[in-house]
Amino acid sequence: MRAVTSAPLPATAPHRPVRLVVTDDLERRRLTVLFRLVLALPHLVWVTLFGMAALTLAFVVWLAVLFERRAPGTLHRFLASYVRYTVHLTAYLTLAASPYPSFTGSASYPVDVEIDPPARQGRLGSGFRLLLALPALLLSSTLGGSAALGGWSGVALLSGTGGLAVAVSLLGWFASLARGRMPRGMRDAATYAIGYGAEAAAYALLLTDRYPLATPGRVEPAPELPVHPVALDVRDDLGRPRLLVVFRFLLVIPHLLWLTLWAVPALLAWLAAWVLALVLGRVPRFLHRFLAAFVRATTHVWAFLYVVGRPFPGFVGREGSYPIDLRIAPPARQRRLGVLARLVLVLPAFVLSFAYGGVLLVVGVMGWVAALATGRMPPGLRDLGAAALRYQAQVFAYLFLLTSRYPDSSPVLRGRPPEPAPLPALPAEVIS
Amino acid sequence: MKPAVATRAAVYALLACGWALAAWALAGSVVPDDLSLPRVNVDATFGGDLVSRAERYERFLYVDWALAQIAALATLWVYAKRGTRFIRESAAGPIGTGMFLGMVGLAIVWLTQLPFSVAALWWDRRHGVSEIGYFEAIFGGWLALGGTFVAVCVALLVVMALARWLGSWWWIPGAGVFAAIAALLIFVSPYLTEGLEPVKDRRLQQTYERYEQAQGVDDIPLRIEKVSGDTSQANAYAFGMGPSSRIVLWDTLLDGRFSNRELDVVLAHELAHHSSNHIPEAIGWFALFALPGAFVLMLATRRRGGMGEPAAVPLALLVSAVFSLVVLPAQNLVSRGMEAEADWKALQTTRDPAAARGLFEEFATTSLGDPSPPTWAYLLLQTHPTLAQRVAMTDAWQARRRSRALSP
Repeated sequence: MRAVTSAPLPATAPHRPVRLVVTDDLERRRLTVLFRLVLALPHLVWVTLFGMAALTLAFVVWLAVLFERRAPGTLHRFLASYVRYTVHLTAYLTLAASPYPSFTGSASYPVDVEIDPPARQGRLGSGFRLLLALPALLLSSTLGGSAALGGWSGVALLSGTGGLAVAVSLLGWFASLARGRMPRGMRDAATYAIGYGAEAAAYALLLTDRYPLATPGRVEPAPELPVHPVALDVRDDLGRPRLLVVFRFLLVIPHLLWLTLWAVPALLAWLAAWVLALVLGRVPRFLHRFLAAFVRATTHVWAFLYVVGRPFPGFVGREGSYPIDLRIAPPARQRRLGVLARLVLVLPAFVLSFAYGGVLLVVGVMGWVAALATGRMPPGLRDLGAAALRYQAQVFAYLFLLTSRYPDSSPVLRGRPPEPAPLPALPAEVIS
Repeated sequence: MKPAVATRAAVYALLACGWALAAWALAGSVVPDDLSLPRVNVDATFGGDLVSRAERYERFLYVDWALAQIAALATLWVYAKRGTRFIRESAAGPIGTGMFLGMVGLAIVWLTQLPFSVAALWWDRRHGVSEIGYFEAIFGGWLALGGTFVAVCVALLVVMALARWLGSWWWIPGAGVFAAIAALLIFVSPYLTEGLEPVKDRRLQQTYERYEQAQGVDDIPLRIEKVSGDTSQANAYAFGMGPSSRIVLWDTLLDGRFSNRELDVVLAHELAHHSSNHIPEAIGWFALFALPGAFVLMLATRRRGGMGEPAAVPLALLVSAVFSLVVLPAQNLVSRGMEAEADWKALQTTRDPAAARGLFEEFATTSLGDPSPPTWAYLLLQTHPTLAQRVAMTDAWQARRRSRALSP
């Protein structure tokens, strides 16, 4: 099985004024999970009041920054504690953390945010801050990772995407109740949404003039990235010729027609693979290759359509032919029970895939506008789009029996390899 | 002479003979060969004011069209020179990259044509001929461009696959495949067209059925298309083939500006297109034009490795555009011949030259059509005989009928 990482984790990441720190151990108490929303009711009332005060003071900070180019320390601390509090609360609501959060945002928390002291800010950027923050707030709403500024339940729910964090918390609720533990991938998806939400809120509230970066995985300590048989390679240079951006939707039409035609034999191949996998315990190599090419071609086309990839993709889904590429491991033995129940098992992943689809749509629209204006795709949006594509590809690979490994819901593209499991204790006589 | 050259020459000679024979067979018409059209006094027939208004209206559109053609050719010339740069923007293999280059070329041309389309629309709106909004025209055209992209992709897929398979002989089967695709599209288009409604006017339907019998066709549905929200121009058309044959009247024909007798002429004219097999003939002509077109394309792209190579596609677009422009007068000649035959058959069916004359005079008013356009515009743009020629035909038909009645 090959490694998943598209690039090694950078040794030294550039300093960010708003940093997410995750020390959560994934353990969850079933009782507090069961009543999570009810337990959070006092916080929901409090966050509304806290938010009104924060918005009022944010206006004062805005005036201060316009005149002094720096937020007053006291007001900065107040707004920073508000952002921290919303991070804690959102982590609690989305099951990204277990303990009941404090009401002040001052105590440390397993999903926490560090915000630098006030720094000089440009007047122009500060003057138009709310306008400039709109794209980030839109993305934050789609991710659903911030209770600040009403973003958590506002635009995301209205836009029908529901928010990534909402889908994660829904699925995580069932998983935590069943296992007493939050799945790592879902926790990482939630913390990513929370981290981006915190950056967006901090930017909108003038705590920093650094624009939020959508690249997943910028968490301290670096998140874990487990090996998965369906991996994504990103070899994209971010350049986007404007002409191809303008006509992107039209250029992709032949591909959509082709994929529609290809879907018919792919469906038949999937049925054949399902029957054969039940009988043989593995998918025959030729069917695996055919279905893998279909999933890969679909990923290439979506990458092109949503501006995540640069060149016009090929029609046959050949591995290594596209900068946003899928590597799918060769066929391996699968448990027959898992094959039999595949359609049922894949349903939770489909729920999350739908949420990632909403994220991808927003990435596509925002990336289209940005690429049209600058001729480049913002790296954060590209990475987020790639992560969403990878999840969707893993869902379809799982459905099409290309792997028995469940999709990894974490959006992390670059991370540290998982720590090896501790060796079993040796008998005393062996030690001696 | 080397055997390969002799074989090639023999194939060319055979194809040329076949081409000439097919053209001769397709060129037949029921319009008498010895029919001479009398001279029509345009001002007296259509009214001096209307003629000068129509000339002014059309003049702008002629200039707009000419400038659009120059812009398109200049764009394609630049694209033929520099378009291969886009090859690195494709990861789609040779044929996929060829399709991609074709679409990008069309997209660039579409962008350059947009100002001319908007100018023409502005002029139409100014003269009350069109009521389409600018937004609708631009973004409606954008969606239509998607359909064109697919058509170009299919064409390039066929050409490039054949060229990679057959080398420099691709153009012979290529022309046949194009004709087959055109026939398929013509056949299915009535099934894909939405918003056509059945006729509610019983008199119109009864007249239509009577004319069907008279022209020896039956069971061709007559439909109404609602366009009155977009334009005030009046039009009708015949489309489809065999079981998919249809005749469509725009609802602007039924808004009271045209008399029942004039509408009857329209019905007879459109039925004549089906009864004279004009649509299969048009496919035949398309194949005849496609053959030399594909040959020219093959010759022109040889220096870029032939049509099997994506680098040849930008040049192929330019060559196709130039070829289309060059053969446009010939295509219009064929089209005008068919329209003249349909007019003649309509006169034979209705036996009402006064109504036909009234119809053509009314067309000048509703469409602001120049009854007697300049020769270059006539050759390049007129798919129908001019209104003056159509009026002249009614006079000729009438004169011929009188002379036959008087002859012993």
